[in-house]
Amino acid sequence: MKENRYKNVLAVGVGGQGLITFGRVLAEAAILNGVKVLTAEVHGMAQRGGSVVTHIRIGDVESPLIPLKGAHVIVSMELLEAARYINYANKKTLLILNRRLIRPNVPGVKMPKMSDIIEKIKSSGLKTVVLDGDKLAEEAGSYVSANMVMLGALLGSKILDGFVKLEDVEKVISRMPEPWREINIKALKLGYSSYSKAATSDSD
Amino acid sequence: MSKVFLEQAGKTVLLMGNEAIARGAVEAGISFASAYPGTPSTEIVETLARYANVLGIHVEWSTNEKVAFEAAYGAAMSGVRALTCMKHVGLNVAADPLMSSAYTGVRGGFVIVTADDVGMWSSQNEQDNRWYGLHAFIPVFEPYSPAEAKDLTKEIFNFSEKFEHPVILRTTTRISHARGPILLGELRKPVEGEFLKDVKRWVLVPAHARKLRPKLLERWSKIEEAVNDFPFNKIENPGSKKVIVACGITYGHVVDVLKEIDKLDEITVLKISSTVPVPRKLVVEAVKDAEEVLVVEELEPIVEEKIKAIVQEEGITVKVHGKDLVPREGELTLNRVAESLIKFLNVSKQSIPWLETNQEISIEVPPRPPTLCPGCPHRATFFALKKAVSKLKIKPVYLGDIGCYTLGLNPPYRVQDTCIEMGGSIGAANGLAITTKQPMIAIIGDSTFFHAGIPPLINAVYNNTPFLTIILDNRTTAMTGHQPHPGTGITASGKTAKIIRPEEIAKSIGVEYIDVVNPFKLDETAEKIAKALKFIEEKGKPAVVVSLRKCALLVASDARRKNIKIPVYRVDLEKCTACTRCYNVFACPAIQVLEDNKAYIDPTLCVGCGDCAQVCPVKAIEPTIKPGKEWKELWW
Ligand SMILES: Cc1ncc(C[n+]2csc(CCOP(=O)(O)OP(=O)(O)O)c2C)c(N)n1
Ligand code: SF4
Ligand code: SF4
Repeated sequence: MKENRYKNVLAVGVGGQGLITFGRVLAEAAILNGVKVLTAEVHGMAQRGGSVVTHIRIGDVESPLIPLKGAHVIVSMELLEAARYINYANKKTLLILNRRLIRPNVPGVKMPKMSDIIEKIKSSGLKTVVLDGDKLAEEAGSYVSANMVMLGALLGSKILDGFVKLEDVEKVISRMPEPWREINIKALKLGYSSYSKAATSDSD
Repeated sequence: MSKVFLEQAGKTVLLMGNEAIARGAVEAGISFASAYPGTPSTEIVETLARYANVLGIHVEWSTNEKVAFEAAYGAAMSGVRALTCMKHVGLNVAADPLMSSAYTGVRGGFVIVTADDVGMWSSQNEQDNRWYGLHAFIPVFEPYSPAEAKDLTKEIFNFSEKFEHPVILRTTTRISHARGPILLGELRKPVEGEFLKDVKRWVLVPAHARKLRPKLLERWSKIEEAVNDFPFNKIENPGSKKVIVACGITYGHVVDVLKEIDKLDEITVLKISSTVPVPRKLVVEAVKDAEEVLVVEELEPIVEEKIKAIVQEEGITVKVHGKDLVPREGELTLNRVAESLIKFLNVSKQSIPWLETNQEISIEVPPRPPTLCPGCPHRATFFALKKAVSKLKIKPVYLGDIGCYTLGLNPPYRVQDTCIEMGGSIGAANGLAITTKQPMIAIIGDSTFFHAGIPPLINAVYNNTPFLTIILDNRTTAMTGHQPHPGTGITASGKTAKIIRPEEIAKSIGVEYIDVVNPFKLDETAEKIAKALKFIEEKGKPAVVVSLRKCALLVASDARRKNIKIPVYRVDLEKCTACTRCYNVFACPAIQVLEDNKAYIDPTLCVGCGDCAQVCPVKAIEPTIKPGKEWKELWW
C-alpha cells in the first residue's frame, strides 16, 4: 500500500546535461495526469560542469527530497555520476544508465574504465539497464536531446505506470519551439522503444 | 522558465518556488520589484522581469542589494506594494536600510525576500537570516512548499500593509529551487504612488527616531498578537503527549516521516509559518498538556529558544527538545528528520524501509568539482596571468572574489588565495599591500566590481596603495545565470541602457595605469599584465587591467541564435605527443583523454575559443572550419 503512494525518481549527471529540463518535463506530465509532484534541483555553482542531481517525487508526498536508499529508480546521464549517487538505491531500485563517461576536469585525475564501472554497478545486484543515450539522441537529430532519450527509457520501463503517461510527456514536449519539439519527441520515442531491447540484452 | 506564469486564475500549473513567489507578488498587485541576483533567490526577479512590460510593473536589477532594498523601500513609502529579493548574504549588504525601515515603517506592503542557502550549495556561509527579523523588529514568514510560497507571499503583503511595517519572507534553496503544482489566483493591477511629506516619520534624526522607537515597540506587540491568528499557522491532532513543532520547510519532511511510520493522525504537530515572532498563544495551546516537545527547524535554535522561554514564563512543565536531536548545521533531509523523530517518538528504525543500514552500496568515484566552462575567458586570463608572474619571477598573493572566476582556486591555476565576500578582493588588498612586501593582485568580476569594487578602488587611489586589480569583464553576471548589469547596455526588462565601462570608472577616479586586454591573445595578455605589475613596482601606485571578452556560454547561445557555426577544434592524433599540456596545464574540460594519453576534443563540448591551439607545443590542434569575422565579433 505504502509502496504505491508515490514514486521517487532520482536523475543524475553532469551540469549542462539537461537534468533540470528532464525533471520539469516529467513533473509537468504528472500534473497533466492529475498526480501531485515535487522536484528539487541544483542551480548556481554546481551547474558549471559539476555533479548535479534532480529529485522528482511523484504522488502523495510533501517533502521534495528523496531519502538516501529511497529511490525507486535512478536515471543517470553519465556513469561516474551513477556510481556517485548509488547510495540512493536500495535492493529494489532500478538503474537506467546512459553509456557515457565524462572526465572530471581535474589535472591528473585517474579515470576508471567505462566497462569497469558498469561491471561494478551490476555486481551490486541491482537491476541495471544501459542505453546509448547520446547515440540515440544524435539519431533523433541532436546530441542535446540525450536527456529526452533517457526520459523515454524511464517511461519504457513502466515503473511510472499509473503516475505518468507517455502521451502527457509528448504533450509537454510539443509546447517547445521547433526544432526542439520534433527532435525531442523523436528522442523520447527512441528512448522508450530502446528500453526493452536494452533490458533484455543486459539482464543477467 | 515556465511560460505558464501568466495563466489565468483557477488553473494548476507547475512552478518553481521562486516563480511561485513572483506569481504571489503579482497576485498581490506589486508595482515595483528590485533585486541583485544571488543563488537561490535569482529567479524571482528574473521571472518578474520577463513579464514586466506586459504587467506594467517596474522590475530592475539594481547595482547591489543595498540599492535594491532602498529602491523598493522608497516605492513602498509612496504607498505602492513593493518587493525586493536577495540571497541571505545580500541582506548583510542591505542591513543598514533594513534597520531603518522598521522605524519608519512603510505605506504600501513591503516584502523583503531573503533566500537562505542552507547547506551552502552556492554560498560562502549558511547564516540564518531569521536573526535579522529579531534584530530589526521585522516579522519573518517561512513557507514549506512552492505552493505555500505563492499563497504566503500574497498574504503577507496584506499583513505588511495592515501594520504599515516591512515583512521578511524567508525561503531556502529547497523551496526556491523546488517545483510543484500551484493553483493560480487572480492577478491584481499595479497602481501609482504618491509621497506624502511627513518629516517626523521619514527623517530619522535622533529627535524623531527617539519618538519612533516606542511606536515601533508598540507595533511589534500588535504583530506578536496578530501572528496567533495567522492562517498559515496551525495545530494538527491536538492533545498528544509528544508534540512536534515544524517550522517552515521542515513541515513537509515531518509529515512524510509521520506517514511512513503511520503516525500522521496520532501526533500533535504545530506548524509554524511565522517563525519571528513565535505565535505565543498557539504554542501554549499546543504544548500545555504535553510531556515532551520537539522543535524541528533548520540551522539555529531560534524557535526552540523562544518556546523554552514561553513555557517557563507560562509555568508549563514540558521538556523541550530541539538541537539536542536535530542537526544544527546543513540542510535537513528526510533521512535526518527521520532519525530525529525516531529518537523522539521512540519507534524502531525498521518501521522506515530506507533507514535500514544493512545494505550499503558504495563505489569509489573521483570527485567532480564545478569548473570553468570550455572557452571561458577567465581561464585564458588566468593562463596569461600565471605566465606573466613566472616571467617576472615573483610570488604574488591572489585576492579572489565571488563569481565564476572563484573556480580559479582549483588546480592547475590556484589564483584565489582569498575569497571573502563581494568586493573583498580589492578591499583586502588595501590592507595587505601595506602590511607586506608581497605583490598583491586583486581579481574581480565586472558585476562584482559594480556591486562593491568601486569604493575600495577609490580608497586605493586616495591612499596610494600599490596593487594590481584585474577586472574580468565577461559582459554579464555569469555565476547566477547571466543577468545584465550596468556594464551590459540592457536593463532587466530588456530596455536599452547606457553602457558603463569599468576602465572609464578607473580613469575618472584617477587610476594612472589602465589597460584593456583581449585574454584570448594569451602571449600579448601575459606581456600586458607583466607591464602593469612592473609599473606598480616602480611607481608604488595602483594599476588596473580590464580583461574583456564575453562569457563563452553567451557566445555559444548567440551563435545558435544567429545561426553562426561554431569552429570546433580538433586534435591531429598523428601530431599529438601526449604531452598532456592542453588538458592538464591549460585544462579545458572539452578535452578528453584517450587511452594512450593523447588528447581528444569532444565536439559537443568545444566552443571554438582556439586557446588550446595556442597552448599546444607541437601545433597538433586546429579548427575544423576557419573561424570567420562574424564569429570573432561574437566574443566582444
Ligand atoms: C552579497 C552577495 N550578493 C550576491 C551574491 C551572489 N553572486 C555570487 S557571484 C555573483 C556575480 C558574479 O558576477 P561577476 O562578478 O560578473 O563574475 P562572473 O560570474 O560573471 O564571472 C553573484 C551575484 C553573493 N555571493 N553575495
Ligand atoms: S558561465 Fe561564462 S564566465 Fe562562467 S565559467 Fe562558464 S564561460 Fe566562464
Ligand atoms: S577551442 Fe580548445 S580550449 Fe577552446 S573550447 Fe575548444 S577545446 Fe576548449
